[in-house]
Amino acid sequence: MSGDEVDLVVVGAGPVGLYAAYYAGFRGMTTAVVDSLPEPGGQVAALYPEKLIHDVAGLPGIRGRELVRNLLQQASAYSPRWLLGQSADEITRLDDGRILLRLTSGTEIVTRSIVLAAGIGTFKPRPLPVGAEFLGRGVDYFVTDLDAYAGHDVLVVGGGDSAVDWALALQPVARSVTLIHRRDRFTAHEASVAELHRSDALVRTPFVVHALSGDRSVRRAILRDTASGELHEIDCSRVVAALGFTADLGPLTRWGLRIVDRHIIVDSTMSTEVPGIYAAGDVTEYPGKVRLISVGFGEAALAVNNAYVAGDPSASLFPGHSTAIA
Amino acid sequence: MPFFVTGACLDVLDKSCIEECPVDCIYEGGRKMYINPRECIDCGACEAVCPVTAIASDLPLTEPNRPWRDDNVAFFESVLPGRDQPLGSPGGASGLGRVEADAPLAAMS
Repeated sequence: MSGDEVDLVVVGAGPVGLYAAYYAGFRGMTTAVVDSLPEPGGQVAALYPEKLIHDVAGLPGIRGRELVRNLLQQASAYSPRWLLGQSADEITRLDDGRILLRLTSGTEIVTRSIVLAAGIGTFKPRPLPVGAEFLGRGVDYFVTDLDAYAGHDVLVVGGGDSAVDWALALQPVARSVTLIHRRDRFTAHEASVAELHRSDALVRTPFVVHALSGDRSVRRAILRDTASGELHEIDCSRVVAALGFTADLGPLTRWGLRIVDRHIIVDSTMSTEVPGIYAAGDVTEYPGKVRLISVGFGEAALAVNNAYVAGDPSASLFPGHSTAIA
Repeated sequence: MPFFVTGACLDVLDKSCIEECPVDCIYEGGRKMYINPRECIDCGACEAVCPVTAIASDLPLTEPNRPWRDDNVAFFESVLPGRDQPLGSPGGASGLGRVEADAPLAAMS
């Protein structure tokens, strides 16, 4: 895929990255959005999709999930290129000043500027403590295609929103769904947990996966009741490990940026110390910084408009009003 | 730093919180856990899983919790017994391992 060119790459598809993609589209820039997770929404979608957010201007209370849906709709109006499930890895400066960005998937993209809306960094699923050899052979961290579970005995591991939502979504297609969680208490939204208990899914707590076995693909799981120590063996041909995430800035620490306490130092134009690279949202640091979603949105508009003018010095920094658009 | 660990964790050290923290910012002291105020991203994932409800927020900060909030800060910003400089922001608890010391309030409780 080498040779692909855009005006701007947004790294991070959280709320701030999505808003940056919208603004870049509004300014007529061709845009690509990169995120390590397979779905957009960043921290909000991965950590608290059901929490009510009260401090987004003009929205008295909105669930994380819904906010992400709206932002996605707003950004999609300008059809950015979505490069999800892969992370920004390396940059090389080309002779003409543009940047060659290489992703972990091997995809390469040439861009004039980059906005790092990287939040707390690259999210990595927390691995199952056992059965690593079955990853991709029946064991997955994300449910992206429900049909792939048709007719399977599915074991879902975890107690958060992802685990419970996937267990519920899989019921109509899977042959059976068992959900285990290492604690009796779930962190998922109460209403979803109640729905899970009413459903046909077998819910076992406080249980952990003791071992997985199979041949080319996983076939059986041994579960351990951590209260009694008893082992239970079940048939399962698919395992969904939804144990949450860890995050760090990973490859960005090698880009020559000034990073202090996991934050990227920017100036009032949201420029980092690397030409052509801007940052916005939770990842930035400057005197007076406040880490709020509303501040992040403002920084996204600042970063994109300043990046636009850097690419075309004759252009106006002020983008015009969105109300002027038919 | 809205989240910190109170005295309810003393000699419990269940560590469920560690399994939830997405940024590995909950450090193990001699007798309790401590949340690094400069590394915490305020997501609240740890608060929900603590079996002894030892994790509290400073939004709002209650008077009984104030000393524990301050003690939590002191764990990282003061020089702990047996060390020659503050822990500061090590950038991840798993890399540091258990710290065989406590902040003043926890140590004398």
